Amino acid sequence: MQRLPSVRCLLLVLFLAAPGLCGAREYLQVFVVAPYLELHTGPGRGYPVFNVVDRDGSVDVLVRYTEWFKVRTDRGVVGWVSEGDMLHTVLADGSAFTFNRGDRAGFTSHRFEMGMFTGVYGGATLISAYGSLSFNSQLAAEVSVGQFLGNASNGVTADVGLAHVFMPEWRWSPFVTLGTGIVHTEPKATLVQPLNRTEQTAYVGGGVRYYLTRRFFLRAEYKSHVVFTKLNSNEVVDEWKLGFAFFF
Amino acid sequence: METGIRVLLLSAALALGGCASIHHLFHRHADDAQAANDSAAADQDSDAHPPRVIDPQVERRKIKVPQIRSHNVEVGVQYGALSIENFGTNPVYGFTAAYHISEDFFFQGAFGRSQAGRTSFETLSNINLLTPSERYFTYYDLSLGYNFLPGEVFLGRKVAMTSAFYVLGGIGSTDFAGDSKFTVNFGGGYRVLPTDWIAVHIGVEDHVFQSDLLGVDKLTNNLEATIGASVFF
Repeated sequence: MQRLPSVRCLLLVLFLAAPGLCGAREYLQVFVVAPYLELHTGPGRGYPVFNVVDRDGSVDVLVRYTEWFKVRTDRGVVGWVSEGDMLHTVLADGSAFTFNRGDRAGFTSHRFEMGMFTGVYGGATLISAYGSLSFNSQLAAEVSVGQFLGNASNGVTADVGLAHVFMPEWRWSPFVTLGTGIVHTEPKATLVQPLNRTEQTAYVGGGVRYYLTRRFFLRAEYKSHVVFTKLNSNEVVDEWKLGFAFFF
Repeated sequence: METGIRVLLLSAALALGGCASIHHLFHRHADDAQAANDSAAADQDSDAHPPRVIDPQVERRKIKVPQIRSHNVEVGVQYGALSIENFGTNPVYGFTAAYHISEDFFFQGAFGRSQAGRTSFETLSNINLLTPSERYFTYYDLSLGYNFLPGEVFLGRKVAMTSAFYVLGGIGSTDFAGDSKFTVNFGGGYRVLPTDWIAVHIGVEDHVFQSDLLGVDKLTNNLEATIGASVFF
């Protein structure tokens, strides 16, 4: 009961602060330089146009969903504008309104990419996903995780490494990879139950990526893993995989 | 001797005084020349520019362009029923995370879990084929989805909500009966967005994998029907 007034005070402060916090958000204002800007009822090419903003009119950009921007006119009308139409707007200082578009230029140079693969890891079926952070158009750090499901054993892999793209501006752009990781193997039971094991790996590999359309590209990859086992000799495991990826 | 020294000192004093005069004279001439030059330059400047009364010190304003928020990431929960082949229909719950790449395509990861019932053989013979822990049916999948038939749902005269049907397909793994199996999943659903950042889904999906659990190696179909809610951010 003693804490009740403090709780009330906290709620009161939050209640009073909430409108300020919510209202503190500023939206980007852009000005129309085309004859008019079309506002759709929804974020899709099929949604009808229900309003337009004339040349030199302004809109506030509220939020972006894929290739669509939700905007509010100075008369309070809210609608969706396509990415292509937003290219015909400028900022308050007259400079062009630029934003990240999913196109061929973005394929050449982008910040992040993600993808999923299926393939073969040492004879077992592989499911894999990866994420990448690009330092520039040619060099990126990559993290990939995978699960392999075989007749003799199942397991998971995790790799971290670097990828170097040779000709990022080409539609077919080859790359090489180098890195390290771990593999956790769970042999399937037969007469004698073998132990699960986790081992470190190092890999070298290469592949090719092919730009499909918009933000999509295909990626085919080969990795040669050296598994540092506790036995007398190390083990070499080949990994082949094919999948699709996207950049953003 | 003393007179000679006095004469020498006097000569030296005169000589130093003369040098100082010459030096002063030279500098005075140089200063006069500099002053004359400055005066001429000042006259020229005063002709070119009017004298400044206030020296303005204006700093250029740095304009901070507000960031545009994106609603391309969707995270949700779902609940429904899963028909595990030969093991009856049971409740299933799960989580989904999706990234919307374009207005047409999205990439989705899903995780779900259910618990299998008893086969008819187990019921009739009163023999348990699986231990309780082996009855957990746990799956994950990575899928590519495609939105089609986008539209709007109207509630009365003033409320309109965007909606879309979608199909998806992908690959993943199912952990069931003490083994993990490579699984292909495909299905479809319907999504309604009451607001820009909340969605309600209903969906049907099939999880197909090879199983030899009952003695014959065959493809098993495990149909799932769910209802879910998700948040865009």
